[in-house]
Amino acid sequence: MKIKTTISLLLLVIIASAFIYDHPPQKLTYLKLVIPKGWPKPPANIFASNPLTEEGFQLGRKLFYDGRLSKDGNFSCAGCHQQFAAFATYDHDFSHGFDNSFTTRNAPGLFNIAWQKELHWDGGINHIEVQPLTPLTATNEMAETLPGVLKKLQADTAYIRLFKNAFSDGIINSQHMLKALAQFTGSIQSYNTKYDKVKRGEATFTVSEQLGYKTFLASCNSCHKEPLFTDNSFRNNGLVVNEKLKDKGRMTITGNPADSLKFKVPSLRNVTLTFPYMHDGRFNSPGKVIDHYRSGIDITQPTVDTLLKKRIAISNQEKIDLLSFLLTLKDEQMIHDPRFQQPD
Amino acid sequence: MPAYLKNLFFIPGLFFVLTGIAQTNATIKISFINTINHQPVVLDSTSYTNCWNETFTISKLKYYISNIQLQTADKKVIREENSYHLIDEADTASKSFSFLVPSNKYTSLSFLIGVDSLKNVSGAQTGALDPLNGMFWTWNTGYIMFKMEGYSPQSVAVNNKIEYHIGGFSGANTALRKIELNFGSNEVLSKTQQPTEIIIQTDIGKIWNATHDLKITQTPVCTTPGALAAGIADNYSKAFEIIKIISQ
Repeated sequence: MKIKTTISLLLLVIIASAFIYDHPPQKLTYLKLVIPKGWPKPPANIFASNPLTEEGFQLGRKLFYDGRLSKDGNFSCAGCHQQFAAFATYDHDFSHGFDNSFTTRNAPGLFNIAWQKELHWDGGINHIEVQPLTPLTATNEMAETLPGVLKKLQADTAYIRLFKNAFSDGIINSQHMLKALAQFTGSIQSYNTKYDKVKRGEATFTVSEQLGYKTFLASCNSCHKEPLFTDNSFRNNGLVVNEKLKDKGRMTITGNPADSLKFKVPSLRNVTLTFPYMHDGRFNSPGKVIDHYRSGIDITQPTVDTLLKKRIAISNQEKIDLLSFLLTLKDEQMIHDPRFQQPD
Repeated sequence: MPAYLKNLFFIPGLFFVLTGIAQTNATIKISFINTINHQPVVLDSTSYTNCWNETFTISKLKYYISNIQLQTADKKVIREENSYHLIDEADTASKSFSFLVPSNKYTSLSFLIGVDSLKNVSGAQTGALDPLNGMFWTWNTGYIMFKMEGYSPQSVAVNNKIEYHIGGFSGANTALRKIELNFGSNEVLSKTQQPTEIIIQTDIGKIWNATHDLKITQTPVCTTPGALAAGIADNYSKAFEIIKIISQ
């Protein structure tokens, strides 16, 4: 019996070493998400089952910028999520998709996703890893199929190498593709605006910015809560319904009439880059958005937010100062960060 | 010498080690037979009639079976590891699967029709849960637990389609259903090297009348979570029964 055990153990060791011989342990460079000082903890660890590595990040970056993820090769993720626009679509109410089509909602900026529990304007997506399935397969976006994309990736030597670098078995499948994309998009962070620098004592607001900040705290902060500049809730801000789109927002997902016309509160970080505004891109300047809150809210809608029932009183001078404060939320470092640029 | 040849030498050793570990285990095989009006389902070609005298064909029939548990006579619960199976009528191999359990006397079997809520909120999965299998919603994250498509002249939907994509994993309208099936007097005495096959038959026609009366005329399509989806799930949850246990 003892001999049998010894032989078994010995064999196990030999088998294990043969396995290691064939599959040398990978050299992965582990990365960490930055949790800026004073920020709340992310609601969940988006990298809990997807360890963030340089290798995974670089694979995700290549995928993000690759038009071949779309049916006709024309539409990459980056096509609608442009770095110079804080990863929104610059100056477009709706983005362009396959075969001259339009999306039906305004593309949001991509940053600080680790702090978002739900993605999309209606919160329909509950995990960063599965989000790309929507644009990838939507006929008015990238219009591809999962088997179609995987076939292209599996035939590409650069991807074969990158998947091997990032994942121990090197398999090119949907799970690895989605996890790699999540490593890239989840790493895009905005925490180096002038506002952040003021908070860290590295810069000071001008008088107008300071006054605008005061107005912001009094009139905007309950929904666009600092430091993320959103509380990630879903609210109806009283926009007159677009009769063509008839977009019910959050109710589409929950089926609950109380959620009718509610949309996710977007972050105001990089707000001067992500115009036009609202889920349908109907306002093309921050001033018009402020005017909506001052006088445009349709307060007759039953689900309009309680905080907006009396609209928001903001004087003309306060509006001017508020606009200068909003400019301090632009993150030059993020939009010029070479790590987020198209790879060579 | 190539590495794979070198590894070949260790296969007998591996076998030796594994049999040592597996000595107290036995194989349980579970097979599914989908039927309508007591006849095995044939996709596309056969026209069926439901209890409301509505006629239809079936072009797709797929559902998830997950979280399989067996209960022993002494009330121990044995769970299948990584228990996710997609039963696809179009794929014969998918309709039966085997796993190892400790040798024991078993009295009942339970499973979920669908994918448990945790896997619905945990990001990209692979294997049976790969979104590649066409059982994953991209507009409202979650698995389609049960999918049936076909045609009926009574359907008012475009091209007379029937389309039931049943899902939703949380709240009052969850489509998850736990099924418990007793072995009754046919207790499974599972012993070493003796595979036992449990054959489960589904009566797909139950979709229209097991608990709730549903007609193709009124509801040919259900593709969102909600009360209708939950009602259809109630109905098909009554469709599963053990028809045979084969012990060698």
